[in-house]
Amino acid sequence: MAMTEPAIHLRGVSRRFGALQAVRDVNLAVMPGERRAVLGPNGAGKTTLFNTICGDFPPTSGTIALFGADITRLRPHRRTRLGIGRTYQTSLLFNGLTLLENLFVAVRGLRPNRFSFLRPGRGDDGMAKARELADRMRLSHLLDAEVMNLSHGQRRQLEVGMALAGDPRVLMLDEPAAGLSPGDRPELLNLIRGLPRTLTLILIEHDMDIALPAADVVTVMKDGEVVVEAPPNRIADDPVVQSIYLGGVH
Amino acid sequence: MRSAAATWSLLGVLALLALPWLLAQVLPAGQAQFWTANILGRAIVFGIIAMSLTFLATYGGFVSLAQMMIAGVAGYVLAIFVDGAVPRIVGGLGYSLAVPLGLVAATAMGLLVGAISVRTRDIYLLMITLALAMGVFRFVETNIAWFNGYEGIRNVVGPAMPGFDVRDPMVFYHVALGTAALLYFGVLYLVRSPFGLVLQGIRDNPRRVAALGYSVALHRIAAFGVAGFIAGCGGTLSTIYNIGISPGTIGLGATVNVLIMSVIGGLGHPVGAFIGSLIFTVFDTFAATIYDRDRFNTLIGLVFLVIVLVSPDGAIGIGARLRRLLAAGRR
Repeated sequence: MAMTEPAIHLRGVSRRFGALQAVRDVNLAVMPGERRAVLGPNGAGKTTLFNTICGDFPPTSGTIALFGADITRLRPHRRTRLGIGRTYQTSLLFNGLTLLENLFVAVRGLRPNRFSFLRPGRGDDGMAKARELADRMRLSHLLDAEVMNLSHGQRRQLEVGMALAGDPRVLMLDEPAAGLSPGDRPELLNLIRGLPRTLTLILIEHDMDIALPAADVVTVMKDGEVVVEAPPNRIADDPVVQSIYLGGVH
Repeated sequence: MRSAAATWSLLGVLALLALPWLLAQVLPAGQAQFWTANILGRAIVFGIIAMSLTFLATYGGFVSLAQMMIAGVAGYVLAIFVDGAVPRIVGGLGYSLAVPLGLVAATAMGLLVGAISVRTRDIYLLMITLALAMGVFRFVETNIAWFNGYEGIRNVVGPAMPGFDVRDPMVFYHVALGTAALLYFGVLYLVRSPFGLVLQGIRDNPRRVAALGYSVALHRIAAFGVAGFIAGCGGTLSTIYNIGISPGTIGLGATVNVLIMSVIGGLGHPVGAFIGSLIFTVFDTFAATIYDRDRFNTLIGLVFLVIVLVSPDGAIGIGARLRRLLAAGRR
């Protein structure tokens, strides 16, 4: 076995909100290029776990390493610059700006000239990058559309595009298919499956039909703890998973 | 579509340039001059100050009540340092130095207001900017040594060269119009720059802006600095228009008037500030003649109430609605 460093390595990570222990002693190692799905019922601590990794709510105890480097205490945008991209469960887009401008703002935030009164010129590489991202997300036909006028599916695609703006090494998707109509789901799934293997992917998903085909390894959480970690083909039959998903807890 | 809007704006500026000449053709000489200076010129000057508020509100989501006070800072610094002002406080500078000094002071005051209010939003931002405005107003009103107290500073007549005297209504009108056009197009340029896009990002979603690696505070303070500069340009012109400045210029009434102009014109596009200031100036000037001398404020109030009730997004909202109706009728 190669001695590669995990892309994301959590050791004994806990997060507490007052009396509520949202995440309890989680150990997790996601290898580079891996597709990891995090499953679990509402309130299992999936999004809180995400927030500890992305820095929105740092852990109250434990450590987090990105390719071996400790990032436990870094601010969110520092982590973004180190290569963690994320999407949010509820779209956090800039509604008054166009699709291209949303991507441009995301790209520019990682560059040293991010504060500027000068409009980008024709050959601006940030703008070129934004167009390229739109192309990858199959949204090139909507560059000048205001984001408030996009469909829900298009907004989710744009979310993924903005998360990719910093050329992340680790991409974290928080319920990317949430609220999508059945017709819009395959498009997004294909998009996620088409992402290069140089990228490590961690995705939270509610729906097993989406999570299982996309994942190499599945982590199941309940009440803030990891209860199962197994390849997707063993998940559906796992007695613990069955009790969570079929036992009326949901 | 955006370039079409720019073309229309440019045509509008050209039409405004020719307007005093047109007025002179159709109105008696005295009337034409009155309209040029006291209605159009004044509307443009107040439009600039209102646009500084509209800029912050439209693109940043910040409603600042300090803009009239900031305009007054430019006016007072000009009056304090320029030669010929009565009483002489410091003096010694010509207009070519005193005006830029006033603009620097207004920009600095804008940055200061932005820095003080950087953590507040909505009603709290409104209150803190109002408190700053009233604090400066009371200080100026009671300070004799620097601001000559209640009397203010008179005789700021504006620059004059052979063939160019700002006391000539035509010259003043065109200087004001030129300044307004530069600032207006400057704002339109700025809002599509990285700074402007991030500012709108802060309006839509400050948490995401921070997560993307931008400093929200830096962009907010810079926006107040830009708005301070715009307000300062308006304050300089208004001081020259009024041949001086007194505390009443930056009092509560004036502060509220600027807000009213912005709202009735429409927060949504900088052009609303100028439309609002024109409507305001026309009614402010003629309400006493149209209605009753003692009750003209009632008429002004009713007009504003009707505009805001009919169209919550102001006069530019009425325009957009009419265009949609016409487009629907044609189909």
